Amino acid sequence: MPTPLKEGAAALEALGGTRGEFLDMISVTLPKAALIDGLKALREAGLEMLTDIHGMDYLTYPGHHGKRFAVIYNVHDVAATSRLFVRVELDDGESLPTSTGLWPGAAFLERETFDMIGVEFDGHPDLRKILTPEDLDGHPHRKDFPLGETPTLFNEGRFLDPATFRAGLTGRDEGLTGWKGGTRHGTVATQPTLIDPMMARSLKREAERQEGEGEE
Amino acid sequence: MSSRLPPAPTRADDRIPRLGDFETRHMRINVGPQHPSTHGVLRLVVDLDGERIVRLKPYVGYLHTGFEKTMENRTYQQGITYSNRMDYVNGFGHDLAYILAVEKLIGARVPERAQRVRVILTELNRIASHLVFFGTTLLDMGALTPFFYTMRERETLQDIFEAVTGVRMNYGYYRAGGLYRDVPDGFDQAVRAFGASFPRYLEQYDTLFMENDILIARTKGVAVLSRQQAIDYCLTGPSMRASGVALDFRKAQPYSGYEDYDFDVPVFEQGDIFARLMVRRVEMAESLRIVEQALDRLEPGPIIDPDRRVSLPPRRELETSMEAVIFHFKLVTEGFHPPRGEVYVPTESARGELGYYLVSDGGSMPYRVKVRAPSLANLQSLEVSSLGGLFADMVINIASFDPVLGDVDK
Amino acid sequence: MALKELFVKDVQELEGDGFLFESLQNLVKWGRSNSLWPVTFGLACCAIEMMAATNARNDMARFGSEVFRASPRQADVMIVAGRLSKKMAPVMRRVYEQMPDPKWVISMGACASSGGMFNNYAIVQNVDSVVPVDIYVPGCPPRPEALIYAVQQLQKKVRGEAFDERGTALPMVEGWSRT
Repeated sequence: MPTPLKEGAAALEALGGTRGEFLDMISVTLPKAALIDGLKALREAGLEMLTDIHGMDYLTYPGHHGKRFAVIYNVHDVAATSRLFVRVELDDGESLPTSTGLWPGAAFLERETFDMIGVEFDGHPDLRKILTPEDLDGHPHRKDFPLGETPTLFNEGRFLDPATFRAGLTGRDEGLTGWKGGTRHGTVATQPTLIDPMMARSLKREAERQEGEGEE
Repeated sequence: MSSRLPPAPTRADDRIPRLGDFETRHMRINVGPQHPSTHGVLRLVVDLDGERIVRLKPYVGYLHTGFEKTMENRTYQQGITYSNRMDYVNGFGHDLAYILAVEKLIGARVPERAQRVRVILTELNRIASHLVFFGTTLLDMGALTPFFYTMRERETLQDIFEAVTGVRMNYGYYRAGGLYRDVPDGFDQAVRAFGASFPRYLEQYDTLFMENDILIARTKGVAVLSRQQAIDYCLTGPSMRASGVALDFRKAQPYSGYEDYDFDVPVFEQGDIFARLMVRRVEMAESLRIVEQALDRLEPGPIIDPDRRVSLPPRRELETSMEAVIFHFKLVTEGFHPPRGEVYVPTESARGELGYYLVSDGGSMPYRVKVRAPSLANLQSLEVSSLGGLFADMVINIASFDPVLGDVDK
Repeated sequence: MALKELFVKDVQELEGDGFLFESLQNLVKWGRSNSLWPVTFGLACCAIEMMAATNARNDMARFGSEVFRASPRQADVMIVAGRLSKKMAPVMRRVYEQMPDPKWVISMGACASSGGMFNNYAIVQNVDSVVPVDIYVPGCPPRPEALIYAVQQLQKKVRGEAFDERGTALPMVEGWSRT
């Protein structure tokens, strides 16, 4: 029995899409040139509500060999029985045609994708940053944009770099912190052990004494 | 409009200007981020022709917190502390959406008692969210008293939430696989007491504001949004149901056991502000029905999936079993590792369709978290429904779409 | 010459410690501390708890904060309730500068006081870097009772009865000497 999902997926595959499935969610990967025709075909098939447009950066995804970015359109029908994810894969610098002609409500969603991932949409009436401040350069949800964590300074004089701390716990590598700070006084703590100030001072004296002996 | 008038006199012209010579321009007003009635830090730049709106552009991002990127650097279990701070008025709604996505990803099976408690808490939270909606919307209309009435009921609900979760707001009560801990004794009585008193308060609200002539005059026929416009502008939630689109994810794609409960979903055709108010007013009564049905069916039982890949072992097991200690250690420090994949579970929050698109790369932290927050898409309907209307009506129009800026800006 | 010195000393006494000025100062202290009107600066979740502090159960109006003035020109205290994003920081500074002296700032919640759980590119890590803070209220969000306690501590500070952590008395705020 033809449901909007089956019709829509069939129409997209006819335009050159490849179908994927994960845990009862259907996605179709379209080539960039077929995007607007594909979305129009989906609207005609009955999937006329656009839920979300968002971008994905596969830069540090282990085992990913395709293009760097993917933009995903999440459409469903009014009865919400069928939901389809339309994916378009892009490289850095490629742009997509805008879908504001089909859904005026895609305006903010495309602006958010532009702001966060950096994908431009040709023909968008007002493509500019929506969430981040005007003086922030870069696109935060890219994997090469650091989280921007500032280290935590404790009273005893040690400071904790959150990414290193987390890496110590989870065994993953630190990633980017984006903290470009200068030298700080104190010891860098990577483990959550609490050394009280007297212990810290005696440890420091020990280390200095050993250094002095080593020089001699 | 200015093109119909004669051109303005230039400086070389020495004539005394007459009335028809003036050129009128539209006045551009900034309804700045700090404003008592923008429901948070929403900035609007409004072009006015007299009192009529000709252009309205929302500027958002004044509360952008970087939730999604921060959640990509926390484990799945730690993400529950972040999700409820997005839409802080409907914290359980976001928690439920996030935890359903995590559970789908890892394949956890939630026991029935946990599902019923989740439904009870989420629906009570929906009532609390609509109470804040009514309080603040009426405050924007100039009615100062109903705010205190709705907040009174909300305090009762927050007492219940505090007894169950420990906090009045920003709960982190759901876990992947179930709940953090069981509900305390007296939960049943407290919720039933609320359920017994609430219909009387609903009647009070009806006589206080819903049947108030001033409210009806200010909201009926104002800022109409048609059905096709609602679909085109990606509107979801109660505002969409007020424009005639009968879609509620609790009925269409049931989750957490919603298919067991008997409730109606209010749909109105008019699409004006009054319809948007009525939808939420009826939804409060329907939520109470769901809560009472869930309470009736609440049976004693486990409250979390016993699968040790997902949930922490109970504390008494830590005294006897070495494997339990190891599981506990691994889950707390490193977190669980869902298989690679991308999931999206749509839920119905108090504001609209809410879903978390989670991408896992097999590690203990999500690779990508994308929150489909309803309020950002809902804000687009603001412009099209306010055009041609009065500036004073725009203020209650914003309120009627119920944006929560934490949800918009993430 | 000795007469002149005596005259100068009398004037100093009158200005500093005389009975009339003492009671005028008491009047000012009483008036300022018992009528602190906040400006509406609710940003996020703490704003909801700030609203809850004004509702019928935890009535903040009985402590003098009768109205939340929308216009900063008519307000005394700014309660920064919620996470301050870097986009909003210049707006907040502008609102603070529009408030007339004497003015105070309460930083409500963990996010305003230190960035809270958000240690990232978007959130200001301590509101004190934008406006001078008088009282910090911990909590995520702080209970309405905690906010009322903070307002009461601010009232003590306004009256000049406050002490810092080393035990030295903090002076009563004159109003025009703070940046």
